[in-house]
Amino acid sequence: MRKSFSFGGRSSRRWSSRAIGAPAERQWNERVGDEHEGTPLMDLLPSSEQSEIIESTASFVASRIGMTRTRELFEAGSLPAIDSAAWNGAAELGWLSLGLPAELGGIGGGLVDEVLLAREIGRGVAPGPFIGSILAARVAAFGGATSLAEEIINGRPVGLVVPAALDVVGADGSLGGAVQILDAADGLALVTSPGVAAIVEVAKFGNLTTVPCLDPTILLQRAEVANVAPLVSVTADVDPVERRGQVLIAAMLAGIAEWARDTASRHAIDRVQFDKPIGVNQAIKHPCADMAVQAQLAYAQSLFAALATDEGRGDAELQALSARITAAAAAEFATAATIQVLGGMGFTHEHDAHLYAKRATVLAQVFADVPTALQRLLLLPGPL
Amino acid sequence: MDLQFSPEDAAFREEVRTWLSENAPRDRRPKLGREVRDYDLAWQQTMYAAGWGGVAWPVEYGGRDLPLTQQLIWYEEYARTGMRPIDTRFVGLAHAGPTLMARATAEQRSFHLPKILRGDVVWCQGFSEPEAGSDLASLRTKAVVDGNELVVTGQKIWTSFANVADYQELLVRTNPDVPKHKGITWVICDMSSPGIEVRPIRTMEGGADFNEVFYDEVRIPLENVVGDIDNGWSVAMSTLSFERGTAFTISQVQLASSVERLIELARSRRSINGRPAIGDGALAERLARARADCAALRALTYLGISKNVNSDQPGPEGSMMKLQYADLAKSVYHLGIDVLGPRSLAIPDDEADTEWIDHHLLAYSTSIGGGTSEIQKNIIGERVLGLPR
Repeated sequence: MRKSFSFGGRSSRRWSSRAIGAPAERQWNERVGDEHEGTPLMDLLPSSEQSEIIESTASFVASRIGMTRTRELFEAGSLPAIDSAAWNGAAELGWLSLGLPAELGGIGGGLVDEVLLAREIGRGVAPGPFIGSILAARVAAFGGATSLAEEIINGRPVGLVVPAALDVVGADGSLGGAVQILDAADGLALVTSPGVAAIVEVAKFGNLTTVPCLDPTILLQRAEVANVAPLVSVTADVDPVERRGQVLIAAMLAGIAEWARDTASRHAIDRVQFDKPIGVNQAIKHPCADMAVQAQLAYAQSLFAALATDEGRGDAELQALSARITAAAAAEFATAATIQVLGGMGFTHEHDAHLYAKRATVLAQVFADVPTALQRLLLLPGPL
Repeated sequence: MDLQFSPEDAAFREEVRTWLSENAPRDRRPKLGREVRDYDLAWQQTMYAAGWGGVAWPVEYGGRDLPLTQQLIWYEEYARTGMRPIDTRFVGLAHAGPTLMARATAEQRSFHLPKILRGDVVWCQGFSEPEAGSDLASLRTKAVVDGNELVVTGQKIWTSFANVADYQELLVRTNPDVPKHKGITWVICDMSSPGIEVRPIRTMEGGADFNEVFYDEVRIPLENVVGDIDNGWSVAMSTLSFERGTAFTISQVQLASSVERLIELARSRRSINGRPAIGDGALAERLARARADCAALRALTYLGISKNVNSDQPGPEGSMMKLQYADLAKSVYHLGIDVLGPRSLAIPDDEADTEWIDHHLLAYSTSIGGGTSEIQKNIIGERVLGLPR
């Protein structure tokens, strides 16, 4: 029996659920156990249950899948690969079904809860196909592939397909053309476009080769695909999977930016040159302040986009793309600035900064690169 | 967490929207002089009469004392009217008034606060000096106690609306022999006092709201001192928590609305190559980024207000919002010039495009006024991140 988050559990679930196939809209009057007695109140602070998500995730990341573990795996020469013990541990905690409706076998939280989870994973730059698996569980569940959904929720990892061109993904989630695949360690990968999301079997791809990835913690494969049909797919009107992916990527990038801010600040306080901590210099202090602003913007917008999605707002797509764009800019700026603040140390393999910079670079390419996201954003109607 | 507002708040928004659409001035705000004052005060009087004079003011001073979320709604709706975020009423309502509430005597409060709220008077702020800008506490305008009066001699600068103000919140040096923060006094200065000379400073944007103020042995009754003699620094700092970030909403919403109008403009205007301006990849990228950045600034504002609902002290989001707003306003309004292209060269008063040029020129001030962006970065670095001074 899978354990769910200790804060919630199946008996005291606070989130309402929605019927299969219904639009992603939460009914306020269905909510129970809320501190506002069912009355919404504009509020971007975590509830006590959400604070527990943050704490339990951060604690698991630190002890099981964070940098300490990543360094051990490096030393052992076993990266890139899924650390299956850690992966199963995360699955047992309910990470892969936190936002899945309860009647589909999930915990029934919102995308906003998954944002808090993804931010902590980003802060620990934890390896593993979390976003692919979280979203694939939805595709399987909403697509009626119940036993596959259960497998994924219980720890079968699903990687992510990064198509070489937009037209590689067909309207039904079929694939045809050149692709790269991230972390498809167990034969499955998620394919998305703005209109559809699907799970495909990597074994059906042609010319499958493994190549080193810019981010050394990621297992990267390349393939040529000659029209492979998906195992299961759902369209965005049933569940906006790609949009959720944009928001989760944004949350991870926000976590990366926060780590960079904290790391640079710590160094600026500790490092003494010319008999003073280097942080007294505005050439150091001001980039640190800029990181703080950008990290906070990225986090705030990730929350806003998640809530807009959970609440079925008409501008949810605009908010999600905005989150993705601002968070990518924040993480890229913050990791680069942190490497600069760290000086020579920042350029070494020994320091963790490069792993954050590399992860940020990879995440910026997933679910449409930033230029494509910008083009899509500009075509949308304005915000509400 | 929620983005939605409660049914009560939604009803409140309807009420506010209706009232503003029926009552906000329709005629254009004059650009210069007494007409500006008359226009702003007439608007304040209209709001006061309907109970909207001070949405964040406590009830005991005639205000509405709205909860922060309803203040946010009020300012979001106010922003939609297109009224300026800061006008001649600003110092009285948002700075001097709240300072008086926090620190003034009962007599001072009962004399001044009703006048501010009713829209009878304009206040200005006498803080900055030629030699005391970011380092405000080094101010030198001298005040000597003589009998039951302070005698003030010196100079203030960057004083918005001093030319039309009735009162000034004035910081003076009453003791030059103690550490700089400890010899300052906060005093109410009647701007009609003999010995005051106001000289307008023309700005790069063309407005003349800015002034220098000279004091030549200006006599101010000691009863106008707020707090105590030499205790003025703490008085000046006492209003930092007022409104806790909600008033900033007007600027943020109006900037976002400017971006949407710019996107429309770029769709309808042709660039020099004959194609719609939005077809220019470089402009399109900047417009899309501006849209994303405005969304994030709004989210940051909501996050800041959410925090402040549960705290008496404003969080660091205040400095973050101001810093980000300044950067974004400058880039958005420069983008406006680039969307206009060569048409941005001519600035006739009666053409709509001129508005974009005014915005662009005014935007240069956003990273200077009210604490420069460099000072905001110091504040964030030191108070949020704990970096050494």
